[in-house]
Amino acid sequence: MMPPDAGVVATDVAWRVGYRWILKNISLTVAAGTVTLLVGGNGSGKTSLLRVLAGLARPAKGSVSCRGGVGFVAHHSMLYDSLTGRENLAFITRLDGGHAPARVDALLKQMGLERAADQRLGTYSRGMTQRLAIARALLSDPGVLLLDEPLTGLDEAAARIVVEVIKRRRQDGHAIIVASHQLVEFMECATDIGFLVSGKLAAWEPVNGRDAGAVMHRLRDLVADG
Amino acid sequence: MNRRDGALTTARRGSILTVLALAGFAGVYVRALMFTPIERFQGPAQKILYVHAPIALTTLLAFGVTGLLSLLYLILKDRRLDHLAASSAEVGVVLSIAMLITGPIWGKPIWGTWWTWDARLTSTLFLFLLFVGYLVLRDALTDFGMRARYSAVLGVLALGLVPFIHMTVYWFRTLHPAPVLLKPDAPSMPGVMLVTLLSSLAVVITMYVGFLMQRYALSVLEDVREEEAALELS
Amino acid sequence: MVAMRVPSCTGFGIWWQMANGLFSVAGAIAAKDLAVEWRTKTAIVSSLVFAILVLAILYFARDATAVSAFEVAPGVLWVTFTFAGMLGLNRAFLLERENHALDGLRLTSATPSAIFLGKMVGNAVFVGLIELVSLPLFILFYDVPIWNRLPVLMLVVAMATLAFVSVGTLLSAMVVRTRFSEVMLPVLLLPFLVPPIVSAVQVTWRILADRPMAEMTGWLSLLGAFDVVFFMLSIMLFDAIITE
Repeated sequence: MMPPDAGVVATDVAWRVGYRWILKNISLTVAAGTVTLLVGGNGSGKTSLLRVLAGLARPAKGSVSCRGGVGFVAHHSMLYDSLTGRENLAFITRLDGGHAPARVDALLKQMGLERAADQRLGTYSRGMTQRLAIARALLSDPGVLLLDEPLTGLDEAAARIVVEVIKRRRQDGHAIIVASHQLVEFMECATDIGFLVSGKLAAWEPVNGRDAGAVMHRLRDLVADG
Repeated sequence: MNRRDGALTTARRGSILTVLALAGFAGVYVRALMFTPIERFQGPAQKILYVHAPIALTTLLAFGVTGLLSLLYLILKDRRLDHLAASSAEVGVVLSIAMLITGPIWGKPIWGTWWTWDARLTSTLFLFLLFVGYLVLRDALTDFGMRARYSAVLGVLALGLVPFIHMTVYWFRTLHPAPVLLKPDAPSMPGVMLVTLLSSLAVVITMYVGFLMQRYALSVLEDVREEEAALELS
Repeated sequence: MVAMRVPSCTGFGIWWQMANGLFSVAGAIAAKDLAVEWRTKTAIVSSLVFAILVLAILYFARDATAVSAFEVAPGVLWVTFTFAGMLGLNRAFLLERENHALDGLRLTSATPSAIFLGKMVGNAVFVGLIELVSLPLFILFYDVPIWNRLPVLMLVVAMATLAFVSVGTLLSAMVVRTRFSEVMLPVLLLPFLVPPIVSAVQVTWRILADRPMAEMTGWLSLLGAFDVVFFMLSIMLFDAIITE
């Protein structure tokens, strides 16, 4: 049973590849209307955790609940280069059982992709592709938005759009989890920080007004302990 | 008893069975050559039947076991079922090679050519190739779970295919001697030949089980080694 | 898409909604596959050229004084369809590999069965197109008189194509994850094609030889049974391929 104000609940989740445990005993609760920043070194399991939360990977142990559906923005766009931006989004809505041209248009506008909407995805820049991927994730108006290193390869303007989207979703009462190396851009909108060390959730703390440097320091301490 | 010890015990028992089977095989061999009468129409060459037919049946058994265990794996998701299914497939491939060799050896004196597109040899050939494909697929997939699931799917498909292949080649013109044992009515072999055939069958099945146990034990041991390697890394 | 208002409290209502959902999702996937293929056209053009080449080469690959074109025709037709068709099967799931699009499909509420059906229909259209182009050329090159028996031939082609795309779609989903998928697919698929292709050839030569229908019904029933069994098996087993 999920507590009424929770967006994501994971209970004792463990995930492995072969016999190697990548995620161990992870339990977390992300409340609705909050933004959680997931930090950890390379290979700490951030991507794996997000995939398990999204339902793309099945945990060997434990369970995951997400209220209101999941939107996932990963490193790859999960869309088709030969189709236009608009066609890609229209296709995804049809898979979810709908036909919503109005919503597609609205999202394209929100992501600043109106002019590029009828060009093929293959011609998009990295920043445009990422914006389209976010639009795709938001099509079903999910209760939970998961983003895996969303700012990689983006310029300042595009990065600002991503952060704006996150702030907006948070205001609308949805839960967001962002895994990122680039902390500075997210510090102002993050509410909590999850520290992932070697597949375990070493700490889960509210931001408490800290800056990126303090967070990195905390991570280094936790890595040294663990 | 941990998994490694369990596997070693299974391997030991399997090798005992295999040795027994080989001894039994020698006995059957002697009986077939010395104490079983020569068949009227085919002459001495017919005696290969005592080797060929049991191997053929056991091949079918091996592949059938793989198919059934694959189905069970998809339902129960127990990894041991996957190991057993793959082991049975491997033993089955070896048995089918034996069958495909003894078949022409029997065929040459009787039909005049080494290979004829005879119904049963042809279906065994296709099943052999299919299960070689099964083993190649397993080899090409490194991820555990995927390998087990995909092989199981192929195994179930293969199970569904067997009756269709059988019917297809059966309706196609056949040179194979009419089924002697698996006919709906009583077998038309004289008693003494039947006994030789059935004892040979028992021996080959024992050999299959022995090999199966050893191969399964090997899979488990490989698995244990991988588990220990993973523990060392973490 | 027209929204159907059916009371979902009735059993029939639920079934109707499920079927509706299944077919519309499958249709969306098939349409998307065909749209993408139409934009690039590489696979379809290569497969068509391949089919024509095979038809032509096999015409010459015999002792023309001993073996008439008529005698080899049924086998040639089905070898052509099979091998040209196999060229097109892998592209269905290869498409989903770029940009990890398959993950995108799994994130939606599309069920594995709907995804399978969509991919299968896309493959069926692809193979059907190859057959549509090859068949008249086959009639032309091999000078076979089948115009009066065309309906039966179409039936056999349709049934064999169904068998081909059912198992082919399932197996291509598996091999696309391996390194040598172009080789692995024929290796795994061809044994499964023995019953349908042999049946199809048996019916085809009887059609060409103007034999009575009664001689064909046995093989047609075998083909039909194969279709039913393997369509059901493929759509059920696909779940195990796509879900972790």
